[in-house]
This record gives sequence, structure tokens and C-alpha cells, in this order.
Amino acid sequence: MRNLTIMLLILCLGAVVGPGWADERPTVRIGVIAPRDIDGAEYSWGATLHQLSVSLPDYRFEMRVLDQGDYRRVLADGGVDFIIGNPAQYIELETEFGVSRIATVEFAGGPAPSSAIGSLVFTRAGRTDITSFANLRGKRLVAIAPDLFGGFRVAWKEFAEQGFDPFTDAGSMEFVGEPVEKVFAAVRDGTADVGIARGCYFERLVAAGRLRGDDFVAIEGRTPERLRCQVSTPLYPDWPFAKLASTPDSLAKRVAQALLAMPAGENGLSWTVPVDYQPVHAVFRALKIGPYEYLRQRSIYQLAKENWHWVAVVVLCLAWTLISLARVQYLVRLRTQQLNAAHLQTRREREKMEHAARLSLMGEMASSIAHEISQPLAAIVNYARGCQRRLADGHKLTEIEGGMTQIVAQAERAAIIVRRMRDFVRKRPPSPSLVNIGEILEETLDFFLPLAERQGVKLDYVCEMPLPRVSADRIQIEEVLLNLLQNAVDAVKDTDERRVRLSAAVVDGILMVSVQDTGPGMSQETCERLFEAFYTTKPEGLGLGLSLCRSIVEAHGGRLTGENLPEGGTMLSFSLPIAQE
Amino acid sequence: MEPDLSPVVFVVDDDPAMRDSLVFLIGGVGHECVAFPSAEAFLAGGRRDRPGCLVVDVRMPGMSGLDLQQTLKAEGTTLGIVFITGHGDVPMAVRAIRDGAVEFLEKPVNDQMLLDRIGDAIRKSIAATQLRRRRAEVEARRNRLTPRERAVLDLVVAGRPNKSIASELDISVKTVEVHRHNVMEKMEVRSAVELARLFSSCLGDNP
Repeated sequence: MRNLTIMLLILCLGAVVGPGWADERPTVRIGVIAPRDIDGAEYSWGATLHQLSVSLPDYRFEMRVLDQGDYRRVLADGGVDFIIGNPAQYIELETEFGVSRIATVEFAGGPAPSSAIGSLVFTRAGRTDITSFANLRGKRLVAIAPDLFGGFRVAWKEFAEQGFDPFTDAGSMEFVGEPVEKVFAAVRDGTADVGIARGCYFERLVAAGRLRGDDFVAIEGRTPERLRCQVSTPLYPDWPFAKLASTPDSLAKRVAQALLAMPAGENGLSWTVPVDYQPVHAVFRALKIGPYEYLRQRSIYQLAKENWHWVAVVVLCLAWTLISLARVQYLVRLRTQQLNAAHLQTRREREKMEHAARLSLMGEMASSIAHEISQPLAAIVNYARGCQRRLADGHKLTEIEGGMTQIVAQAERAAIIVRRMRDFVRKRPPSPSLVNIGEILEETLDFFLPLAERQGVKLDYVCEMPLPRVSADRIQIEEVLLNLLQNAVDAVKDTDERRVRLSAAVVDGILMVSVQDTGPGMSQETCERLFEAFYTTKPEGLGLGLSLCRSIVEAHGGRLTGENLPEGGTMLSFSLPIAQE
Repeated sequence: MEPDLSPVVFVVDDDPAMRDSLVFLIGGVGHECVAFPSAEAFLAGGRRDRPGCLVVDVRMPGMSGLDLQQTLKAEGTTLGIVFITGHGDVPMAVRAIRDGAVEFLEKPVNDQMLLDRIGDAIRKSIAATQLRRRRAEVEARRNRLTPRERAVLDLVVAGRPNKSIASELDISVKTVEVHRHNVMEKMEVRSAVELARLFSSCLGDNP
């Protein structure tokens, strides 16, 4: 029958192609991915080629066997119009090249095309310790190759569903390669505990007399209806016939019609409508291989789910860090506020103290100042009385006008003294500006000179002109000067040679202002505690004057020092940096 | 010879405003008023032979008002002194008054009191000056006498009769009469009564 068919085929071909072999028909190339040794042995495609040639005489059909290694390259080059391969290859090509099945192999009297391929997981007969997949943990497993669909992959999917990973959970996972007898031999000889092979091979090998059926026993084995061999897994669709994306639909349609119309050929092989290959996809997806390789790059969600305890630790650490950060932030803010408040408090205290010191200084100078003010007031009274008398006596108005002018002048003189005093003791924030130190010295002297003279003190002023400008707070510098001058006057008040000398000069780019007296000098203790707050040698003093003078000078970037002079008396000097202009 | 007996008020104060205002006030009531900025300047430039009043600040640089008072007292001044002070100081005031100051006034001064005291001082000063002048005059006339005449004068003023004088001086009554006539002439009086009045007027309150 078979020979007859081939004869017929050759005759037909000869008849059609006959004249001169000058075949002008378009060629349709059908690729067949070369099966491994045993895999696909039952598939033969002669009848199919014949059917197509007969059904579509206007085309010349060519069958091209493609290597396992390079069928992808051939497809990429457009080397074939149709392709036949196993279900695993099909779904890979479906994803990579967009091939689509147009028919599925069906064997007459064989299994249903949608449930044709399964795997057998077996062990040596008598191994009572291995009866289910649950017993596989720690056992030595053996299979032909990791990339065979019927065989390892289908079994692997079942293992995976039961939470068993043959690569990590098994004692060993060995791939021995073809032929399939090697797998059986390994199990039989005890070099492996469990073997994996495509379903029906076992029965086929037993039938061929190459294996003894009672040497082996299936694990979780069953015999589905129509299959007539034992399998340990569900069944998957049979081989498809697929068109490439570039193949015209009209041609595909005609090829499909021809395939479906083909009577069962050798081995009872025929074609039926394409079945659903989703179960194959499911295997690949579950194993994360082939088109689903990317699933191995596991999503964050999966990672998190699988390592929830680590995630929990990380989340806790993160939470702890965040809480710590927030706490630190809060504390920093709190401390900053406290610091600012403390700073403000300190500044207020300092201002109060400065104010107290200025008041104290004014107190020390009070009688002198009172005299300074009473002088113009007394003069005003005299002028006013003089005017009244002249008015009563009918004197000339010009004389009275002269008195009036003097009254105004004296009132202004008193007002200036009062204003200066008020400025001096008023609470105000320091406001440094570029000032002429010479002017400050002279203004201070204008104020202080009469006070010193009234106490019988001769005050000299020696200065190097012109004096530079400094960045300073005028009132504060005046305060320092008045303190130093008043101290000097106090020091010489009860001595014979009552002289105080104020001098100013620029030394090495720094302004030096000194107040020197001819007093008795300072005691050792006074020298040491000169700038200490609340240390004083005056019965009425607060002991704040020099302490504050030093803070003021230092705040201006200068230094205040005091020393006894070898020729007698004391000298207090302060420096101020000259403003860069 | 009648020297300048018109009174003058001297103002000595180191504060120019005070000084000028005092001059304005005192000058306003018609006194001649001369001001000095210090005691030293006053001693150097003030005419102290005229009657008058010195208005002086107690506390001044250099010589103080009290020192000036001592100096003038030593000179035997006739000037009345009115002190003016900014600082009421009782012991100082007591000392000044004891040493002959007319008044010790606190600033600001009561103008009426100041002017009244100045008036008092001037009156006293004029009187003292007149007395001193008269005494000097009498002294001058007396200096013209010979020693014998001076002895006769003393006895005449004492109210002794010529006879008693003659026996006292161991000379003749005739000689006493000649001396007595010369004394009257030189002393520019006409009688012994007049001579006695001249001497008593010079005594004043000074011994």
C-alpha cells in the first residue's frame, strides 16, 4: 500500500512535472525541524508532501529538514513558507516569528490530538519509598535533556506545581542525553533513583524487546483512555503544521484544506483542525522558560511575597530610619528653637547688663553732669532776671534782646547735654557703621573735658591725624572711651599730678586708642581681675564697666588691655581693625 | 585828691555762660561790672583799690574762690565777697562766712538776694574805703609832725592841758603853745575839739 502510494506519487509528479522538467511553478517550502533520535520517530511526512502536491498542482512543494541548531536562522531568512515542529518549538516560534498553526497531527486510533503528549516518571521496581512526587526530595533524578518538551519539561511542570524544584530540591539532576535507553539503564542500574521519559517510549521499547517491563514502576502513573500507555502527567497537544507570518493567507487556506482532506497515511498520521496550544504555553509560563524566560526576572511583588520576612525586616529598618530621621528633625527643630530662645535671652540679659553698666557709668559721672546742666540753667535764670529788671526799668530793647539770645543759646546747651545722656543710656541694639574714629574721640572729649576739668584733672589729647575710619557702633565706642576716661579721672582725682592723656595712633595697620593716667597704678589683684565682671575697686561701682568694654571691643574685632606703666600710672588701650575702603 | 570811689562789681567764674549772665544781671541794675575767667586773672588785672563787691564761683580750676578770699584778706581788702556755688557744702559756707564773706549763694541764684547782697557789700565797702582813706589822710598829716609835735599831739588828743603837757615833756608852756599851734596847722584843724573828732572818726570799728 505504502509502496504503491509512493509509486503513484512519483507517477503523478512525473505526469505533472513531466514536460522537459522546466518547472515554472512557484515553490512552497515546508520546513521540518529535525527530530532527535527517537523523538518524532512516529512522525513521517511523505504522505503529507504527496497530498499537498496533488491537491495544489500549481505549486511545487519542497520539504526542507532543518537542524535543531539553526532552524531559527532559516526562519529569520524567510527560507520556508510553512513549518512543522513539536509543540514546544511551535510556541517558541509563535512568539519569536509570529507563525500560526493551521492543522494538528492526528493518529488514526491514537490519542486525541489535544491530549497526545505526556511524560512518564518512573523508578526501579521494588522502590517502595518512592510512590509519589512528594517522595522525590533528595532523590537522584535522570532525564535525556532539559529542553525536551515531552519528557523533562512536562514532568518539571508537575513537580513545580507540587513545590518541588528538581534543580535545587533533588539530590541530583542529571541529563544523560539520547538515546532514551540510557535513562532506563541509569534507573535500572541504580545510578539514579528516578527517571523521566516521554510517555509511550517505555511501552515502545518493551515492545521492541529492548527493555524488561517489570524492571520499572511508574510514579503517579495512569493510563488515559485512547493513549494506551502509562503517563505521570497531564497530556498536551500533538505536533502542529504552521504557516509563517509572511505566507499569503490564500495559500495557507488551500494548504489547510488539503491537509484536512488528507487520508491517514503511514502510521495512521493525518491532519485535523488546529487544537488549543494554551496548555503548552501554561507549561512554559509555569517553568518560566522559552517565551516566558522574562518571568524569571521576578517582579518586585513576587520577590516581596517570597521573601516577606526580609521585606518585613527592610520595611521595619526603613520605618525605623524614617522615624529616627523624623525624630532627629523634630529634635533639631526643637533644639534650634531652644537655642534661639536661649540666645535671645542671653542677648537680652547682655543688653540689660550693658544698660546697667552705662547707667552705672552715668551714675559715677552724675554730679559732674548735673553741674554741666545746672550751669546753663543758672545762666538762663540770670539772663531772664536781668531781662525782667531791664523791662521794669525801661531799658533799651537791644540789651534785652541780647539776653534773650543768650537764654536760647544756654537752653540749647543744656538740651544737648541731656540728649547725649539720654542717647547714651537708652536701650538700643548696636548698629555698626563706617565711622570716623577722630570724630568719636572729639565728641567724647567735648562731653568729658569739662567734667574732667571740674574735678581738677588736666586732660590731654594726642592724636595722629588723619585718623582712619572704622566699622563700629558709635555709642558703644563712646561708652568704652567714657569708661576708660572716667576710670582714669577717678584714679588721679586724689593725687597731686592730675593728668590724663588720651592718644590715638595707627600701629601696624591697627588703630590703637590709649588712655593713660598719672595715678597710683593698679594692685596685683586688680591687674589680674581687671576685666572680670563684678570686680570693682570703687565703693559705688558695679564692676561691669571694663568687663563690658572688653566684650564691646572684642565684638568689634579688637582687643582691650590694661597695664601699669613703668613711670607710674596706668594705661588702658584698645585696638580696632581699620575699615577696608 | 579824691580818688575813684565809685563802686565796681567783679565777677570771677570759669564758666563763660555763667560769667556773662551774671554780668548781664548785675550790670542791668546799673552797677559797673568787670568779669574775669579765673582768680589768677582777677588778681593780675583787677583794680582792688576801688570799693565794690566780688562775686566768685567757689570751685574753679586753679585757684579756688576760697583761696582767693584768703589772698584778699591778707591784702586787707575792702571788697565784699559773695560766693556762688553749684554744690551746697555747709562746712565750706561756714568757713567762708567766718572769713568775712557777705553771702554764700547756691546756683541758680536768687537774683534779688544776689543784688541785695551786692548792694550791702558795696555800701560796706564804700564805708570801709572812706574810713581807710580818712585814716590814711590823718596818718599823712600826722607824718608831717616832728617827733616833739607828735608827742604834744598825743597828749592834746588825750585831753591834757598845756601846763600838764609842759611838765610831762619837761618844756616850757610857751614852747608847748608853739608846738600846739604847729600841730593844729599841720593837722588842718582849728581846735582841740576838732582834732579829737578827727581822730575818733578814723577809729571806725578798727582799733
